[in-house]
Amino acid sequence: MAVCVAIIGKDNSPKYFCCLNPDEELGFQYKVLSSLDVVEEKLNTTNKGTNDLRELYLGMLYSLETHKIYGYVTNTKIKFIIVVDSTNMALRDNEIRSMFRKLHSEYADIVCNPFYIPGDAICSKSFDVNVKNIMTGTV
Amino acid sequence: MSDDAVFEFLHSELINYIISQNEGKSKEGKDEDLSNIEYIGFSTGYRIIERLTKEMPRFKDELDTMKFICTDFWSALYKKQIDNLRTNHQGVYVLQDNSFRFLTKLSSGKQYLEVAPRFVAFTCGIIRGSLANLGIGCLVTAEVQNMPSCKFHIQVQRT
Amino acid sequence: MSRASTRFDTKKVNSELVTLTYGALVAQMIKDLDNTEDVSKQLERLGYNMGIRLIEDFLAKTGTGRCLDLKDTADKIQSAFRMYLGVQPNVANWSAAGDEFSFILDSNPLTDLVELPDELKNLKYCNIICGVIRGALEMVQLDVQSWIVQDQLKGDQNTEVRVKFIRRLEDAMPAGED
Repeated sequence: MAVCVAIIGKDNSPKYFCCLNPDEELGFQYKVLSSLDVVEEKLNTTNKGTNDLRELYLGMLYSLETHKIYGYVTNTKIKFIIVVDSTNMALRDNEIRSMFRKLHSEYADIVCNPFYIPGDAICSKSFDVNVKNIMTGTV
Repeated sequence: MSDDAVFEFLHSELINYIISQNEGKSKEGKDEDLSNIEYIGFSTGYRIIERLTKEMPRFKDELDTMKFICTDFWSALYKKQIDNLRTNHQGVYVLQDNSFRFLTKLSSGKQYLEVAPRFVAFTCGIIRGSLANLGIGCLVTAEVQNMPSCKFHIQVQRT
Repeated sequence: MSRASTRFDTKKVNSELVTLTYGALVAQMIKDLDNTEDVSKQLERLGYNMGIRLIEDFLAKTGTGRCLDLKDTADKIQSAFRMYLGVQPNVANWSAAGDEFSFILDSNPLTDLVELPDELKNLKYCNIICGVIRGALEMVQLDVQSWIVQDQLKGDQNTEVRVKFIRRLEDAMPAGED
């Protein structure tokens, strides 16, 4: 179960941000934006094994006392960040990957809406609902 | 959708619509304004690449991306691969299709050469849109000398 | 270039290509024309132009003969939907006089993933389908009217396209020598 999801565009500007607990929103926004540095670092290390680089899933970016942050970057340079509660030990790597894949699917769907201009913030009600379902694991 | 006919006809009607819109405005130069057709292609390419590359691993480099455009991408859209890819390894690529889908319906004589640009504008846009979304900004133009063969010139813009 | 080209499902990609191209075209028309009414009309006209060509393609591919009556026509259009859009609509809501009926689509590839913004609430996004039906039938000497009754993009359960038979157009050739 994720507590926060963010979609960052190519130019590192946020396109979408969703937090299950509105009080923690500001704190998470800060953490998410700082994790972008780690994303850049991972993308730029070309000396590691080629297999690692070819995957879209980046794994855990960093871990805080109470939360863990995971990243995923598409071929089209869109970054997805998921923040998960550390106390939730049951969440395995596979489940995080699966959440990212569903998120990527949702994003690919919204891009196909001819009335959505890529680069704008995403303000679709159905997208909100779908993302919340992914976060709470009800999908 | 099982039929190519729908896309062929939609493409033709799209061109007719844009040309008729252009007639409404005053035109000075001899060259037709095909930028709207190109833009529709750009928008389509930008969006379709998002869906196509969803399950794919990350591209290694620019050449890898170009090869993808010439093979899987072109096959999916135009039922065949690009016949020839040339590059100067400095950001210029030439993609040659010897039997371009939208030109095969026009007879191969010289008389349709004038209107050939209309039929390649959309594809120039698709290429430009797809590459743009993959992080490669570029200019795409097309050269038609012997129908139905067509060459797409891609000039990558380095920032 | 030795990469296998079987990576993508070509049918699905073709379908998405049509959906996205149509969407981009609609967006362009909205930029060009001032109001949704004009855009809807333009989409119908575009559909009409496509219809007069699609019917030739359909007749050539299916080798089908003349339709006996309106019900037969409805059935043929139903198979055309399957052939060109990959969906099978239900034919329903026949009028008492038998001159009007509807196609009910519970899914429509043209509107896949499209969300109409509030300012375009009046847009008849699927009007191209009405035009295609009108154009195609005119080529087989049937003058019909076609319009959208229900629209999934506006929150309805299904998309319903209604067709009304107006009259038979005169054949270009004389009926007989005597």
